Parts: sequence; structure tokens; C-alpha cells
Amino acid sequence: MARVKDYGNAELEEKLRDTYFYTTDSNPQFLEDVKKISRTAANMCYQCGTCTGSCPSAPRSSYRIRLFMRKGVLGLEQEALNDPDLWLCTTCYSCTDRCPRDLAPTDVIMAMRNLAFKYDIVPRNFLKTVQLIYTTGHGVPNNDVNRAARVKLGLPADPPTTHSYPEFMPAIQKIIDHYKMKENADRILAEEGQ
Amino acid sequence: MTETKEESRIGVFICHCGTNIAGSLSIQEVMDYAKTLDGVVVADEYQYMCSTPGQSKIIDAIKEHNLNGIVVAACSPRLHEPTFRTATQEGGLNKFRFEMANIRDQNSWVHMHDWEGATEKAKDQVLIAVAKARMLEDLQPKSVPVEHSALVLGGGVGGMQAALDLASAGIKTYLIEKAPTVGGRMSQLDKTFPTLDCSQCILTPKMVDVGRHPNIELRTYTEVENVEGYIGNFTITLRKKARGVLDPTEALERGIIGGGCNGCGDCAEVCPVIKPNPFEFGMAPRKAIYIYHPQVMPLQYTVDFDACVKCGLCVEACGEEKRAIDLDMVDTFEKVRVGTCILAIGYDFIPIEQKTEWGYKRFDNVITGLEFERLICASGPTGGKLIRPSDGQIPKKVGFVLCAGSRDNTGGVAKAYCSRFCCMYSLKHAHQIMEKIPGAVPYLFYMDIRSFGKMYEEFYYRIQNEGAKFIRGRVANILEDPTTKNLIVHTEDTLLGRPVAMEMDMVVLAAAIQPKPEAERIRQMFGVSKSQDGWLLEAHPKLNPCGTTTAGIYLAGVCQGPKDIPDTVAQAEGAASAASIPIHTGEVQLEPYFAQCMDEICAGCGMCVPQCPYGALALIDKEGRTVMEVTEAKCKGCGTCGGFCPGGAIKMQHFTSPQICAQIDAFLLKGGEY
Ligand SMILES: Cc1cc2nc3c(=O)[nH]c(=O)nc-3n(C[C@H](O)[C@H](O)[C@H](O)COP(=O)(O)OP(=O)(O)OC[C@H]3O[C@@H](n4cnc5c(N)ncnc54)[C@H](O)[C@@H]3O)c2cc1C
Ligand code: SF4
Ligand code: SF4
Ligand code: SF4
Ligand code: SF4
Repeated sequence: MARVKDYGNAELEEKLRDTYFYTTDSNPQFLEDVKKISRTAANMCYQCGTCTGSCPSAPRSSYRIRLFMRKGVLGLEQEALNDPDLWLCTTCYSCTDRCPRDLAPTDVIMAMRNLAFKYDIVPRNFLKTVQLIYTTGHGVPNNDVNRAARVKLGLPADPPTTHSYPEFMPAIQKIIDHYKMKENADRILAEEGQ
Repeated sequence: MTETKEESRIGVFICHCGTNIAGSLSIQEVMDYAKTLDGVVVADEYQYMCSTPGQSKIIDAIKEHNLNGIVVAACSPRLHEPTFRTATQEGGLNKFRFEMANIRDQNSWVHMHDWEGATEKAKDQVLIAVAKARMLEDLQPKSVPVEHSALVLGGGVGGMQAALDLASAGIKTYLIEKAPTVGGRMSQLDKTFPTLDCSQCILTPKMVDVGRHPNIELRTYTEVENVEGYIGNFTITLRKKARGVLDPTEALERGIIGGGCNGCGDCAEVCPVIKPNPFEFGMAPRKAIYIYHPQVMPLQYTVDFDACVKCGLCVEACGEEKRAIDLDMVDTFEKVRVGTCILAIGYDFIPIEQKTEWGYKRFDNVITGLEFERLICASGPTGGKLIRPSDGQIPKKVGFVLCAGSRDNTGGVAKAYCSRFCCMYSLKHAHQIMEKIPGAVPYLFYMDIRSFGKMYEEFYYRIQNEGAKFIRGRVANILEDPTTKNLIVHTEDTLLGRPVAMEMDMVVLAAAIQPKPEAERIRQMFGVSKSQDGWLLEAHPKLNPCGTTTAGIYLAGVCQGPKDIPDTVAQAEGAASAASIPIHTGEVQLEPYFAQCMDEICAGCGMCVPQCPYGALALIDKEGRTVMEVTEAKCKGCGTCGGFCPGGAIKMQHFTSPQICAQIDAFLLKGGEY
């Protein structure tokens, strides 16, 4: 664990904080959990950077998929799960396509998001997405602009999804209820008064 | 067939192997148990049975107790069977009166945490070994004479070195090369790391030597058609491909005095057919009658009959005196007899265009390392000027993609192994562009720089000091700017932790290597195994890296696994030394494990004959009856025929049915009546 230096000054404390990696910072179970959920041998990452080099998020943000692989390998659970970058993956799977170790970094990210959710670590927009899927079947429901565009293209105004077949909504809600996602989303947002 | 069975007097010796065995099971209990077994007159143990005092125990016990069978319970027969056989022999017994129980690899190492279970299993193993020892017979190894000649397949630097060593050791050596010239890959290289000698300059003397060494029979443009026989006595059929051109000796054989190809090239001058030269990867033309390059050995032209239109212009140009060209030539066959063979068939490249992310064959300015060698080489298609294929401009920023398809577990064309010389040649390439092109900067995109050889790390230091840039990240993909044909290389600089998009004038892929496509056919002909990655398999990765599991066949160079020139030459010299031993000994001893036909039982049905994978069986007439006969030197003792014979007429020496049945009975009845 990082040593507190006690400068009696919060700003200095932060600036000069102990950044050593101590073996006690590592939770080996984290890697095991990630491997189990992602079903990929995350420990086999050799840090080549092909994933970040392929990632459309990387050049636009501080998100480095490779670093999440590294944190998984070292069991840096708190660091990985509390990093807001965890939520910047677009799930395009480019990294998974190219990883020379035949790993699925995308699935590692998904696994970490899963684990983060257990600690209620999840960005608010994701929770709102859950609520939207629960009520409409869509993360991004159709809107008037889209409808007009679709009609212009000669398509029906609504796509052949729950928008056209609302009778499937109860099934979707059943799945979400099974995982208590809506319940948790409502609770977290309520606790924050949203 | 009744024999008076001698009384069994068996000695059992149990090895501790330090704590390898003694740490996992009770030696004392196994020894006490052994003493109770039928026929066992003495049981003993020792810390290291393979040591001199350990072996003395066996020798002394044979004499003291008048033993006629020895059992050692220790490690694997692969390791120490020869040791204990020798001790058995020194004690005065036939060395085949020895049986080994592998209580280490097959017991203590796998049951490390089960003391009781392992002890019980060791008792069973000793019981079974004693059951066999009681029935062992004296056997005499067979020795066969060895042909005083050798064959080397492949005329790259590895094959040439092996052939030169064999020939210089006084052995007649056939050097077989399928291309029209020897030299292999090394003759395509410009310079060689880490000393930067000119590749052709250091190779040509060897090429010349193999051409004129009195003990070397050089056969270029020749392939192996068939292999028969066994160590000491291989008969190999060669196919001499129709070359369309006679060398002076062949001309003389046809009565053309002073004729044959002298390499003047008058023929190629007049030949109207133009084809890409594969030696230059199509970057330079050649005619239908051609040589690869000026230093070929032998200096003799070859007609590419797939391209030749038989216009006859070359025949005319060649003239009445030399009369070297024969456009109706056909393939001919030759059989050679040799004692041992060395395979040195080299390597190929993966089809790197199938790793589409790097754009090879899609983008003009993406080339491979070997194409780079030709472009930077003074005798290459551009006279040594490195130019961009798209516009002939001189590149200033050149990217090198290391591990292009190597160390990659995605399957398809990718290879999981390290190709072992691409780090070093990429460093060499970096040096070459900085030397030749003022202001040029090489960028090496790498994961690790593997510069482990003698003076290699120092070479890395030198190139970095000369100004090469190293970016630690494997290249994710390359895009092309369609107007400039420049290339945008994407990766992450993992040391900075930043994604990278760098514009390069040219990119060189250090493409992974792989076995030759024909390696599969060759290996089957010569009875050699392959490792899981497809390279030819050595007999032992550490202790027998030049041999194979087929006696008399050896390996040299990259065909056994990726290696650079120093390692290739070293292995070639090792293989030549190993291959010369049986030849110089003049005879080889074969284990007497061959099948034997019991004539009085054999019905002469001949059904076993086609079963034998080694062609060792034949029907013969013997005293008016048809019976089967085994060519003992060909028999590998596999037991296929012995298990098959419907009449039970085939006896597998040292693995006879009674011996094996006794072992099974011993195990099932736990020492009860059998
Ligand atoms: C771009 C590049 C640069 C390199 N630079 C260096 C360097 O600077 N220094 C260094 O040490 N190493 C270098 N190497 C490695 C070097 O090429 C090899 O170590 C060396 O060529 C291995 O020799 P070989 O005899 O095993 O195989 P090869 O050179 O491949 O020779 C094999 C020969 O066998 C023949 N053959 C194949 N099949 C048959 C058959 N069925 N019948 C008959 N003949 C057959 C082939 O025609 C060929 O002539 C480089 C490699 C590459 C790709
Ligand atoms: S591409 Fe694969 S091996 Fe390379 S850093 Fe990313 S996850 Fe690790
Ligand atoms: S799947 Fe996620 S991490 Fe992978 S390349 Fe796409 S955005 Fe980046
Ligand atoms: S006969 Fe064939 S090799 Fe000779 S010149 Fe004509 S095309 Fe060329
Ligand atoms: S030698 Fe270097 S470039 Fe070639 S595969 Fe091995 S590590 Fe990669």
C-alpha cells in the first residue's frame, strides 16, 4: 500500500504521492475473475500495442486498452475499475481482430465493466441507457429526425424492432429484470437524486 | 521345440536418482518386495545406479550370485539402458539379459504427492520387469557394412558446408540442389550481420569449392525421386531435370569434343522470350534461357521449358562448336548408393500478403526484407540503389515492421515461433540505408530486439548510435495515401503510451519464415518426423540436435528450425561429423529386435509382406517350401507383422509373445500362478 507522507498540505500530498507498485496493491483474484468472465487468456498479453494501435478511441482520448490488459495481469483491480477510461471502448472489436496473441481485449473490457457494475461503478449515461432499453427496447430510441431520414430513404419510419413490435417488450424487460440491471440503475440514480 | 529352461537367477537394483525417485516412494519397501519374487536371488539399492559404484554393484552381483538376468528400476531406458547393458555385459552376461523398470519418468515424477500409491506402482513395475527378465534370451546384434559415401540434399550455405566437410574427410559426397545453382538464400543477401561482410564474397569461395572438390559429385537442377534402404545402405533415385543445356562432360559423352556450355550467354542474348527472374523476385527480367546471376555454380545456362517457344535461335547462337543446347532434352534418372544422408533444404516465407493489415501486394511501397536485400545489393536489379517501387524515388523515411507474422498465435498463415534472424537483418537494413542515403531515417517498429548472438547486442548499440529510431510497438495496420503512395503506419508507442500514425516513404516487412512446401514430401521419403510447427524434427533438442529418429539421416540449417548463417554453418559441421561416423566406422550395429520367421509354422501365405511399412519382408523358396524371409537390416522391429500373422509364425526378438504374456500375467495375477 502506498505510504502517506503527511505534508499537511492536500495539494502537495497529491502531487508527491507515493506511486510505487507494491505487491499488496495487487489482487490476483481480479485476473481470475476477468479471465472467467471474458473467457480469454488475459494473462497472455505481451504488451505489443497492436490493440491500442487499432483502437478508434485511443487517438481521441486517454483510453489505452493495452494498459487495461496490463492492469488485469497485475491484478490492479481498483485502478482499473475506477478509471473512467474503462467506459470509452466502442466495442468495435478491431483490437480483438488483430491481437497477435489471439486474445479478446474487448471482452476483457466487458468483463471489467461487469465487475465495476458490482461495485456500482458505472457512468450515469450508461444507467440511463439501461432505463431507455427497459422502456423502449433501444439504447438510442428512434426520433423524428431519424424517422424523416428513413422515410426519405424509402424505408418504413420505424425499424423492424421493438418500435414496430412492442409486444416483445415484456421479454426484454424480463431479461433485464433477471440481471437486476434496471433495479440497480434506478437505485443508483435515485441515491444521487436524479 | 522343447528347451530345458535354465533356472532364473535375477538381480534387482533400485535407484534413488538422488531424491528424484527416493523422494516420492519407499525404496526399502520396493526392495523388500523384490526379494520375495520368484527367481530373484538378490535385490539391492543405490543413490545413483548409473554412477561407477552403482554399476559395480551389478557387475559384482552377477559374478557373486551367478545371475542370468538383471533388472534395474530407475529412469528411462532412453537415458540409461545403454549404461546398464554395458554393466551387464561387463559382469559376463549377454547384454540383452537386462530389463529396465522406469520408476522415475513413469512413476515418481507423476505421482510426486502420493507416497503409498507410487510405492505400490513401483512394486508392480518391478514385478513386471522381473517376469520378463525370467524369459530373456541371449541375442546378438547384427552389424551391417556402410557404404563409403554420403548424400547432402540442398545446396544452401548449410548443405554446401556439410558437403565440403564430408568430402574433405575423404567421403564421396553427392550434393543435390533442385535449383540450377547452389547458394540458396545466402546468395540473395547483400551483406551479412553483424560483420557486414559482402554475402556473395564470402559465399562464392564455398560455391566454387563444391564445384571442384574431387570428392563432391554436384548435381544441380536435380531432385530426389525415391529413397530406399537403411543406415549404411541407402539407394536414392535422383531425377535430373531436363536443363536443355549440356555441360562439357555431358557434351563429351555425346561425342562433342570441346563442346558444352561455357557460360558465354550468347544464347540468352538472342532469346526472344522475356520472363521475370524469380531470383530477383520479379524485379528484373530474364530470358527463357537463363542464369540466375553472374556467380552461379555451375556456370551453365538452363532452358525454362515452360516459357521456351522452341524457336531455335539459341541453338544457332550457341554454334556448331559448343553444341550445348538440346531443346528435346528429357528428365533422366540416376540411382546412387550412400551410407548416410544430410537434409539441408532451407526455408520459405509465409504468404505475408494474407496478413492484409500490412498491405503487401496492395501497396506498391510495402516490400519484404528479402526484396530489400535485392534492392540494396550492387548486383541487384537497381544496381544497389534503393528506390520506391511506385515512382523510383529514393525513400527518406523507411519503416521496418518486425515480427511480421512471427510470434503470432492467430493461426492462418501466422507463426507462433520467433523467426530468429529478422531482428538482426532489420538492424542491418537500417544501417544500410543510413550509409547509402544521406539524411535517411530508419524507423524500427518492434516488440523486443532479439540480438543474442556473439557481437549482436553490440551491433544493436551501433545502429542505434548511428541514428536509427526504435518504436516499441507492433504495427497494427498500414494505410496508403493514394496520391503520394506514402504509407501511414499505425501502432502504439508503448513506451510513451501514445497511439502512433507515422508517414513513411517505404515499409519493409520482416516476414515470418516457414518450412519449404516440399519439406513434407522429403520428410516422408526419408522417414523424418516434424515438430508441431512443421520444421524437421531433430532426435533430441539438446543432446542430438543434428540427428533424427531415423538412423543415418541428419539435419543441417534452417530446415530444422529458424537460424542465421553462423548457426546454420555450425549445425552443418555437426551434421557432417555425425554423418561421417558410421561411414568411417565402416559398419553399424543394429539392435537385434527384428522379426524372425519360424519356417516350420509359416504357411507361406504372404499376407504379412504388404503389411510391413519398411518393405522388410519377402516370400522365398526354402527347401522346396514357400516361406517368408525377413531382411533383418531393414526391419525396425515395429511388430506389425508379428501381431498380424494369422499362424503366429513371426517371432519379435526381445518382445516375444511369451515374454509379453508373462508380463501381462504378472500384472493381472500379481505374482500368482501363471
Ligand atoms: C532478408 C534476410 C536477410 C538475412 N540476412 C542474414 C545475415 O545478414 N546474416 C545471417 O547470418 N543470416 C541472414 N539471414 C538468414 C540466412 O538466409 C539463413 O540463415 C541461411 O540462408 C540458411 O541456410 P540454409 O542452407 O539452411 O537454407 P537455404 O539458404 O534456404 O538453402 C536451402 C537450399 O536447399 C535447396 N532445396 C530446397 N528444397 C530442395 C529439394 N527438395 N531438393 C533439393 N534442393 C532443395 C534450395 O534450393 C536452397 O538452395 C537472412 C535471411 C533473410 C530472409
Ligand atoms: S494486442 Fe493483444 S498482446 Fe498486444 S498488447 Fe493488446 S492485448 Fe496485449
Ligand atoms: S473494441 Fe474497444 S478497445 Fe478494442 S479497438 Fe474497439 S474501441 Fe478500442
Ligand atoms: S529456343 Fe527457347 S530458349 Fe532458345 S532462344 Fe528460343 S525461346 Fe529462348
Ligand atoms: S527475430 Fe525479432 S523480428 Fe524476427 S520474429 Fe524474432 S523477435 Fe520478431
